[in-house]
Amino acid sequence: MSRKNGFIQELVKNRILFLMLLPVLVYFFINNYLPMIGIYYAFVRFDFNTSLFKLDFVGLQNFDFLWKSGKLLELTYNTIGYNAIFIILGNVLSITVAILVSEVKSKWFKKITQSVLFLPYFVSFVILSVIVFNIFNYEHGVLNTVLKSLGADPVDVYSKPKLWILLIVVFYLWKSFGYSMVIYLASITGIGEDYYEAAKIDGANTFQRAWHITLPMLKNTFVILLLFSLGSIMKGQFDLFYQMVGNNGLLYSTTDILDTYVYRSLKVTFDMGMATAAGVYQSLFGFTLIIVVNGIIRKINKEYALF
Amino acid sequence: MVSRVKKTAGVALSLALTASVFTACSSNNNGNNAGASSEPAKSSAPASSSASSSASASASASASPAGLDTSKKVHLQFYMLGNAPKDLPKVEAEINKMAEADLNATVTFNFTTWTDWDQKYKLLLSTGQDVDLIFTADWTQYQQYAKKGAFLPLDDLLPKAAPKLNEFVPKDMWDAVKINGKIYTMPATYQEYVTNGFVWREDLRKKYDLPTPVDIPTFEAYMEGIKKNEPSIQPVAFGSDVKGSLNDTFLDVYRKKVGALAYGMFASYDKPAEITSYWGSPEQLEDLKRFKSWQDKGYFSKNELNEKTTNQDKLVNGTAAAMMGDNPTRYNQTNSNMKTLHPDWELGYTPFAVTTGYATPVHPIHNGFAIPASSKNAERALAFYEKMVTDKRYNQLTEYGFEGVNYTVDNGYYKMLGDANTNGFPREAMQGWAWRNPEFMLFEPSYDGVKKIFDELDKVQKPDIYTGFAEDYTEYQAERSALEQVEKQYLYPLLAGQVKDVDAGVKTFMDKAKKAGLDKIQEAYKKQWLAYLSEAGIQ
Amino acid sequence: MRIKEDRTSVWFQILAHVIVIAGCILCILPFVLILSASFSSNASIIQGGYSLWPKDFSLEGYKVIFQVPDEVLRAYGVTTLVTVVGTTLGLLLMTMAGYVLQRKDFKYRNVFSFFIYFTTLFGGGLVPYYMLINNYLKFTDSYYALIWPSLMTPFLIILMRSFISSAVPDEVIESSKIDGAGDFLIYWRIVMPLAIPGLATIGLFLALHYWNDWFSSALFINSTAKYQLQFYLYNIINTSSFLSSIGAGAGIILSDGVPTETMKMSMAVVVTGPILFLYPFVQRYFVKGLTIGAVKG
Repeated sequence: MSRKNGFIQELVKNRILFLMLLPVLVYFFINNYLPMIGIYYAFVRFDFNTSLFKLDFVGLQNFDFLWKSGKLLELTYNTIGYNAIFIILGNVLSITVAILVSEVKSKWFKKITQSVLFLPYFVSFVILSVIVFNIFNYEHGVLNTVLKSLGADPVDVYSKPKLWILLIVVFYLWKSFGYSMVIYLASITGIGEDYYEAAKIDGANTFQRAWHITLPMLKNTFVILLLFSLGSIMKGQFDLFYQMVGNNGLLYSTTDILDTYVYRSLKVTFDMGMATAAGVYQSLFGFTLIIVVNGIIRKINKEYALF
Repeated sequence: MVSRVKKTAGVALSLALTASVFTACSSNNNGNNAGASSEPAKSSAPASSSASSSASASASASASPAGLDTSKKVHLQFYMLGNAPKDLPKVEAEINKMAEADLNATVTFNFTTWTDWDQKYKLLLSTGQDVDLIFTADWTQYQQYAKKGAFLPLDDLLPKAAPKLNEFVPKDMWDAVKINGKIYTMPATYQEYVTNGFVWREDLRKKYDLPTPVDIPTFEAYMEGIKKNEPSIQPVAFGSDVKGSLNDTFLDVYRKKVGALAYGMFASYDKPAEITSYWGSPEQLEDLKRFKSWQDKGYFSKNELNEKTTNQDKLVNGTAAAMMGDNPTRYNQTNSNMKTLHPDWELGYTPFAVTTGYATPVHPIHNGFAIPASSKNAERALAFYEKMVTDKRYNQLTEYGFEGVNYTVDNGYYKMLGDANTNGFPREAMQGWAWRNPEFMLFEPSYDGVKKIFDELDKVQKPDIYTGFAEDYTEYQAERSALEQVEKQYLYPLLAGQVKDVDAGVKTFMDKAKKAGLDKIQEAYKKQWLAYLSEAGIQ
Repeated sequence: MRIKEDRTSVWFQILAHVIVIAGCILCILPFVLILSASFSSNASIIQGGYSLWPKDFSLEGYKVIFQVPDEVLRAYGVTTLVTVVGTTLGLLLMTMAGYVLQRKDFKYRNVFSFFIYFTTLFGGGLVPYYMLINNYLKFTDSYYALIWPSLMTPFLIILMRSFISSAVPDEVIESSKIDGAGDFLIYWRIVMPLAIPGLATIGLFLALHYWNDWFSSALFINSTAKYQLQFYLYNIINTSSFLSSIGAGAGIILSDGVPTETMKMSMAVVVTGPILFLYPFVQRYFVKGLTIGAVKG
């Protein structure tokens, strides 16, 4: 009762703020919360002529296909492994480049490079995969043509699963680091010039300024990026993996993630129960992880925590 | 229903919003349950109401004795796969003028495009959208959808709403499309062949005096000859779908497989009831070793599994010299595409019928139109579809566009005006395969070659006994999905000749497949297949 | 001491230039390949692969696209309209939310942040969403179906919250409140001008999101007149991959032929070309000191 009172009091006190927030809340309620009813599909057997809540309840049967192949552990491991590398390297790279770009003195150089580094974001993985195939193709790819002309043996890149771990990471970084770099750049822009002036007077050089002023100021942004990527650690980058690897089973041992597995498995079976089940598994995983990590962040510094 | 949604939205705005915020927060350990169980009635309401309304529509239809009632104006939603032609709005307007006069109905022609068409097809049928007519084929899984109740049974409606069409389609075709004893689709009557045949570069064959491919040994000799004489050309192109373009095609011509039986099951056309597992058999091992030897000899690319260019494109541009299988129509198209680029090149074709001694014309299931169970205008949709097929004005307009604008008839042949890019409605631009009417069909002169092949095939035609089989995989769909993955991961590299030790590779594949539940699937599948054969009276 | 600082900063400048230039080359290479392919003949691509300079200069890809230009031009119109309307509306709503959620005196800000964030973790999947748009919101085949799905994302809202809280010191808001300014007025007059770099970033991302969207067209649009620009590119790519995957047994022949490699690349250039200029435009808001100047002014 008292809690409710508190809420109403708050509602009255901050009514303008509530009103400003309302459209967003309504949007997410309609757009995201209402469709969550569909999670129920994960636990029933689908049928065309029966409505959702009259369908047969089948318990966890729709989850069966995830472990029937004996690959669930491997897939989970791959997915998390790749995402962990993506998160670490992606952030290191984009923070470094953002600092470098922001510290460069020449204005036009700064402007041009910023735009150029953002370019790869516009190339879709479908098109990239065509280019990559042109480079690595065994018979007449660019790489082997060069190797042969140098007298070296040609390399069959498409039969080396281990190598693809590296390639996938490189392609990911190439395409996406521009996006987070822009975010970091914007954050750097927001840092007051007076901090730097003060540091200069104290005799700090460029490296020291970057290390002691810029980096700490980016912590907040970093935490946000981190929490969002952790929440979807079991999902993501379907296009990258699917387009690059395609039908080549030789590479699956190192390049198969949950999303590609689910896509391939369910393309032949039109069962929405199983697709939903896979999504539930991914969500639960991300959810648990987030609760833990957010808890840790909260302990360290309450302000940085997301909720 | 609308008011119900509005009311919900209103509630959401004022009250439920704050409540759900607390639900989401306080129960965040099982937040999915909170969201899922909060308002069950809402999502079930529309689905059940549309289902019952369609049921009552069909009930009232069968109750009315006076044939088609066109007193009420209706608007039909027609769904076809693929891309819409540029001139569609004009054609649609013209059709609507006629349909309004004839049937008091108007229609919208919708196209799914090829982007995620399978996804969209599934969504259209499973979420109760306004769809009155939708394309069906074996490759859109007509049998499964029909079996699961996605379409309306047409048996009682046809004689009343579309008597002409009912007469026009031969009875054996109506019988052939039946699933569980009911008609769910209106089949196309034009008889064509989509069976495979060897395709090769005839000019190169002549130049180096190589044997004409008619079976596997001669095809191998041809590839060997190309490899020797034209080292820069890849002797044969398969593309990344090696299962379809290599293994299935091979089984088709070499072992006379009855059809695309799934899960590694095999039965020959002559003895369909003797169904065995091809996977793990000595025959499979033998075939895989053969494919491996092709790979070792460099007949196809080491990276075939990642190939991005279509086989036809590689042939046309001279980077590949053969395909193991393609159908007569597409061979003809590839040939004429090649001739425009390289007038002195030529493609040869041998239908597999030369080797196997029989050819199966397309099964009636191959092209058709169904009425979804959720349609509210089933009768009018049938009547309209009857017009599309049997009325020359409707038919030719939707197949070829406007005469004089999009095409002319020259000496009995179809002649497109302009080229495929500038013409707003090239031949069969609405993908009108299903409503083709042999009496009204117009062909391009280049099609004569195909007709000649068809005539040859007609002489040895036998019925397609596979496509009528409607598999029901409900009881093993988890295993089926798991198996799909195993197949891609362990079998595809074997097929592409990428596994050094074939024996060990097959063993790994079979181990993994068994773990995924292969035995259970094969057993159930076999049972269903035999039941189908005995029901259909096939020995 | 003066000299020492100069030396490190010279080193820093050299290092920065080298790394950034190397990165730029890597980033620009594929673009050169795509551009060159779009000006090549299809035969030369299939025979010889991609090259940095067209081996066989040809405009055939562009000709196919622009011979009948109305489709592409109309798609430009649709995408531009959707991008402008969606970005403006989304930006307004998201900045308001971001502002409210970072107000320290707003008691339930964490609860609501979680309410928004939670949607990134759980979703009902495609089928319920499809039903929401088509059966309940009735957006089928309308511009709403293109604008609504991308209007806001939790990520951008939380990012906005962080941008505002770091760009606008609490004291500024406090003192404005003491001056008697209402919450909305503070947001509109004080917070918005201060958060310009953040606004530019979020606006850029949202605009890119709208520009790159093709999935909404694929799912919810039936009439070709309302297709987004990107959808044309994806549809070309998907049509050819469909044709190569479907096999001979389906017996499919398309009347307008198979899209060629050149056509794909030309379409990629046509579709991405204009939006590339958005970044340089937004860039000028990423200038240091902008925030400070605004506070003083």
